[in-house]
Amino acid sequence: MTLENSSAEPPYPADPSWYKRAVFYEVLVRGFHDSNGDGTGDLKGLTSKLDYLQWLGVDCLWLLPIYASPLRDGGYDIADYFTILPEFGDLGDFVELVDEAHKRGMRVVADLVMNHTSDQHPWFQASREDPTGPYGDYYVWADDDSGYRDARIIFVDTEKSNWSFDPVRGQYYWHRFFAHQPDLNFENPAVQEAMLSVLRFWLDLGIDGFRLDAVPYLFEEEGTSGENLPKTHEYLKRIRKEVDDLYPDRVLLAEANQWPADVVQYFGDGDECHMAFHFPLMPRIFMSVRREQRYPISEILAQTPPIPENCQWGIFLRNHDELTLEMVSDEDRDYMWSEYAQDPRMKANIGIRRRLAPLLDNSRDQMELFTALLLSLPGSPVLYYGDEIGMGDNIWLGDRDGVRTPMQWTPDRNAGFSTCDPGRLYLPVIMDPLYGYQALNVEAQMRTSTSLLHWTRRMIETRKRHPTFGLGAYTELGASNPSVLAFVREFGDDRVLCVNNLSRFPQPVELDLRRFQGVEPVEMLGGVHFPAIGELPYLLTLPGHGFYWFTLPRQAPLPGKAAT
Amino acid sequence: MTNRAIEEILRDWLPRQRWFAGKDSGAESVRIVSRRVLVDGDPSLIHLLVEVGQPAPAPTLHSPADSNAVLYQVPISIRSELSPNLDHALIGNVDGVGLVYDAAHDQEAMHAVLGWVATEADREGIAFRREPGAHIDPDAPSLVMGGEQSNTSIIFGEQTVMKLFRIVVPGLNPDLEITKALTEAENKHVAAVQGWLETEVEGVPSTLALLQDFLRTGSDGWALALTSVRDLFAEGDLHAEEVGGDFAAESERLGMATADVHEIMARTLPTGNLDADAIGDLADSMRGRLEAAVAAVPDLDVHASAIGEAFDEVRRIREPIAVQRVHGDYHLGQVMRTDSGWVLLDFEGEPGAPIAIRAALSSPLRDIAGMLRSFDYASRYLLADHASFPQLEYRAVEWADRNRDAFCVGYAKTTGRDPREDNVLLRAFELDKAVYEVVYESRNRPDWVHIPLHSIERLVAA
Repeated sequence: MTLENSSAEPPYPADPSWYKRAVFYEVLVRGFHDSNGDGTGDLKGLTSKLDYLQWLGVDCLWLLPIYASPLRDGGYDIADYFTILPEFGDLGDFVELVDEAHKRGMRVVADLVMNHTSDQHPWFQASREDPTGPYGDYYVWADDDSGYRDARIIFVDTEKSNWSFDPVRGQYYWHRFFAHQPDLNFENPAVQEAMLSVLRFWLDLGIDGFRLDAVPYLFEEEGTSGENLPKTHEYLKRIRKEVDDLYPDRVLLAEANQWPADVVQYFGDGDECHMAFHFPLMPRIFMSVRREQRYPISEILAQTPPIPENCQWGIFLRNHDELTLEMVSDEDRDYMWSEYAQDPRMKANIGIRRRLAPLLDNSRDQMELFTALLLSLPGSPVLYYGDEIGMGDNIWLGDRDGVRTPMQWTPDRNAGFSTCDPGRLYLPVIMDPLYGYQALNVEAQMRTSTSLLHWTRRMIETRKRHPTFGLGAYTELGASNPSVLAFVREFGDDRVLCVNNLSRFPQPVELDLRRFQGVEPVEMLGGVHFPAIGELPYLLTLPGHGFYWFTLPRQAPLPGKAAT
Repeated sequence: MTNRAIEEILRDWLPRQRWFAGKDSGAESVRIVSRRVLVDGDPSLIHLLVEVGQPAPAPTLHSPADSNAVLYQVPISIRSELSPNLDHALIGNVDGVGLVYDAAHDQEAMHAVLGWVATEADREGIAFRREPGAHIDPDAPSLVMGGEQSNTSIIFGEQTVMKLFRIVVPGLNPDLEITKALTEAENKHVAAVQGWLETEVEGVPSTLALLQDFLRTGSDGWALALTSVRDLFAEGDLHAEEVGGDFAAESERLGMATADVHEIMARTLPTGNLDADAIGDLADSMRGRLEAAVAAVPDLDVHASAIGEAFDEVRRIREPIAVQRVHGDYHLGQVMRTDSGWVLLDFEGEPGAPIAIRAALSSPLRDIAGMLRSFDYASRYLLADHASFPQLEYRAVEWADRNRDAFCVGYAKTTGRDPREDNVLLRAFELDKAVYEVVYESRNRPDWVHIPLHSIERLVAA
């Protein structure tokens, strides 16, 4: 396939709010499927598994970095914005992936780091060697390391300063992350233009959007923290305008690991990023279930400010980074506030590197409850590859590799991930007795209608039948029982009631549903009609970690309803 | 229509209501003392004050058993046709009058009441008042809240709750007085006052109802604490601080909230000091209650001298004791966890007791002692289902200690003084409360008497 015959236009009608209803799936290209037997997953491998993702009900893939990189920071150190990492394939493979995804009604977004490059990037090489050349001013250079003292050091355990000396140029360069990741100088109009060219390049290839990594740090300014500066927002708005004008239906997803009240500025007035991750919700879900009470969740959602109508939160249970679980178990949960402020990329080593299933002790009830919450709380859900089959992890692997092992497709050699010599795999497949690929794999779960995989698929399908999950207002209901989190999602006539038992024990709950008096709730998975809502509190009983999703169909009020 | 017929059906109906005090003894006599027709129509809305004569009630903690007539507030609505939605609120059918309903459950009746509050109406001698700045949506549908013990609370929409004081006592109800003071101080640990109803009783303006912010997402502290204890008991061998359901952080915040509210009450409402004589009187009253309790519950006898000594230690307190308005009946069931923190409710004091007694100044340690007792109760409530199981006993104690500590630490964070520094008085208040509980439990729930008895053992040993 050549670039010329790639189609930038997806074969489905324009849908400006698709990302508000979409189910996202975070996929590690390296770990999904290996098409050429070299032990590393690649774009062609991913393309060959699109049918599976379509079957599961995924609307949009989110790819971790796919660019040429020395891989000293998981690919977040980009050495060439216009080249695919050779192990993953080439641009032709990428275009094929996008086209094949589009054919199946799926979209593709990818990670992009704008703030910095790898020190191997030709721009940096040119900049250090020729200070007066065209790239001389592409990075933030200074004669000494005294500037921007108020900007904190993010990787305190590895970096002593945000400045490092470059012996080639004989000057210091600025870096908010690792020393091998020099920050681009966005004050330079040429850099701003160059980055827009990068975006255009990928948008022209048909990509549906970007997850913008480390956006708060684009600009620096003396006397400030160098985060969330007005100039940064101005530049993001410029990008958005470019996207809106030339590439409708594409999405910008900000990674700003901060409190929702601070993150909302990245939505602007609906003229900046389309989406941003809601970081604190995830640990709060874990905390709520551990505490068997809803307040950790209720509290964070009550503190989440409203966002512009055309914006959406991205929510997740697990991702490629770690769960900062000590925030959950610490006896003082207010501690979470300061903890988040210290850890903007959520990369500091303070968390537990586990997948969802081992975190929940492989409890099927809890996995279902967590997934039901993910699919019903306000925001677009982001699934992490492998969690749909309850994959395990390998805590003996270093850093965060424990949750990045090969996808388990079959009980065959290398879990069906690759045909290579097992010793050649980029990471070993999971082999323990509980989560090992011989028992736990896509093929086996496809054959079993009661499997977690089939269950997850049914839930996604149910969610997608009801636009209110993506578009509707969220209202928490007062529930008599603190272990029960109940809420209503409303979008016009599409009204859904979700009731979740966060406790391991069976629980009764009385719900104040006066607003829906006369309505007969219909359970969504089985279509069972429940007793009509009357004037009195509505009584439900839930098994341990049980949940219900009901539709609340509109119907004429019962005769005899008091006039109010 | 005659009062007699209404009195007749009320006599049967009243003792079946949760809020009716002295259910065992029933209503000997029922007399309508005032009848105000607020809406004349179908349905009509009639406000009744009803004097109920009962056999002399058992003495309560702070009110002597000197009166056996209690004044109840009973708003009724009368309809000519059966209203199926109101079946549960039917008081009776009176020939020639119609079907008589408890108006608290009648959405049409309550809609009228809310409208009068919104417009600050005066009707038939009842003043409907709105707190300045309060927003009331007169069209919000009403619902009677379940679970109330001594009053009837009606929720309007999702913003407002109206507490109808069922027992009416002449004077300003402390619940309104204190909640209003806290509202005006813009305290965040209170459900703000939105309005109230009052009328003259025995020549004094007297509170009939209190409207305040409805805590839509709240749940009461008791239920939340039990969630934690249940979690602890289900975890094999983990300690209270190790389990996911640990409650200490909540307890600490509750301590902070309590201290905050106490400080505002001290700043905005009357305060005073107990001199040596008054301190002696306090110790005397504790001893008096102890003697009465020992006479009633012989099991208490073995601890009587130790408890008495603890009370006598109070006499030896040299500095005057600072007193102020307090909650008066403070326990986990009186606080609500909302999605923005703890809120304190029900500053009513003991329902039915004279206002002067309920508004008496006291050391805030009395409230603290009440909450500490409540932690003890919460830790042992679920043990009732686990027949004697020493390991759970041990862990219940561990839970109570941990949360009592956390509460005191939180209190100290706000005030700068740990309540346990005033241990003599705090312990006396706790013992006084526990003694009352022993009597109460032995009368009402004999299976439970071990809870306060066990606490007394620990308190006198400390």
